[in-house]
Amino acid sequence: MSSPEKSRREYITLSAIEPKDGTLTCQILISHERMQAIVRRGMGHVKECGNIVPMILEKPTAIFEGLRLDEDEDRRGYGWRCYCGVPEHSYRADGTEGRPYPGQVYLVFVNDEMVAYNWRWEKADPNNPKLPMNHEDRFKERLL
Amino acid sequence: MTVMSNSEFAKRMMLLARPAQQFEPTATYDPDGDCIEFLAKPDPFYAERVDDLVTVYYSQETGEVIGSLIKGVRGFQDQISKTMPGFQIEIKAGRVRLVHLFRSRLWTSPAKANDLTTLVYEKLISVAEESQVETDLCLV
Repeated sequence: MSSPEKSRREYITLSAIEPKDGTLTCQILISHERMQAIVRRGMGHVKECGNIVPMILEKPTAIFEGLRLDEDEDRRGYGWRCYCGVPEHSYRADGTEGRPYPGQVYLVFVNDEMVAYNWRWEKADPNNPKLPMNHEDRFKERLL
Repeated sequence: MTVMSNSEFAKRMMLLARPAQQFEPTATYDPDGDCIEFLAKPDPFYAERVDDLVTVYYSQETGEVIGSLIKGVRGFQDQISKTMPGFQIEIKAGRVRLVHLFRSRLWTSPAKANDLTTLVYEKLISVAEESQVETDLCLV
């Protein structure tokens, strides 16, 4: 259930892949507060958020559900998702474009209310560079 | 609910951005993820899980520790108030220095002095101390 603090938050909506049928019908929210926090980090993070996050939501290489580790799901069980993908670019701190980081994937974490609350680069599985390291132990189910 | 296109979203982010803005270290509590995100430098980063509480951020440019994500903040706060009741003294008007959160975790952890986990926490303590950042705590 949303806390009073959460219910005051405003969100924008982005399209994402619905893992059940592969259509672009899933709607993911991002809070204005989160966007403002990203802006304060500088141009590299602004471009990462503005360009990479929507791309991962629309063209993921995998979607996982049931984030198994405590730090990922806060012991709240099923419903929390992780969209994974390999971006076409990375962004330096000044916002200039670079190549994607070798051996890394980009993850977008979504809570059970379909709010994307965190996104970041992580090391990829050495045997499958399109998936995150330890994905077998880390998630309860692979949806896509 | 209106869905924003990817290009509109990218444009919105660019409009919010202020190129000349000077970076300041921040630690922000996000109720959607029940997490505190700390960033001491504007570098792009990659993340690695340390334990069930902390994921550490390493600079893609230098490999230095430059931030972290603390997850499950409500549960952690509840745990601290039971195991370290005196910690409440450090919370001023709902805010606490981030370094105290890392220290309290380290002090209640079974990790040994030379464990990699301990070394990462010590580095995070040092970065948080240098940054002097404070964060809001959620209301349990």
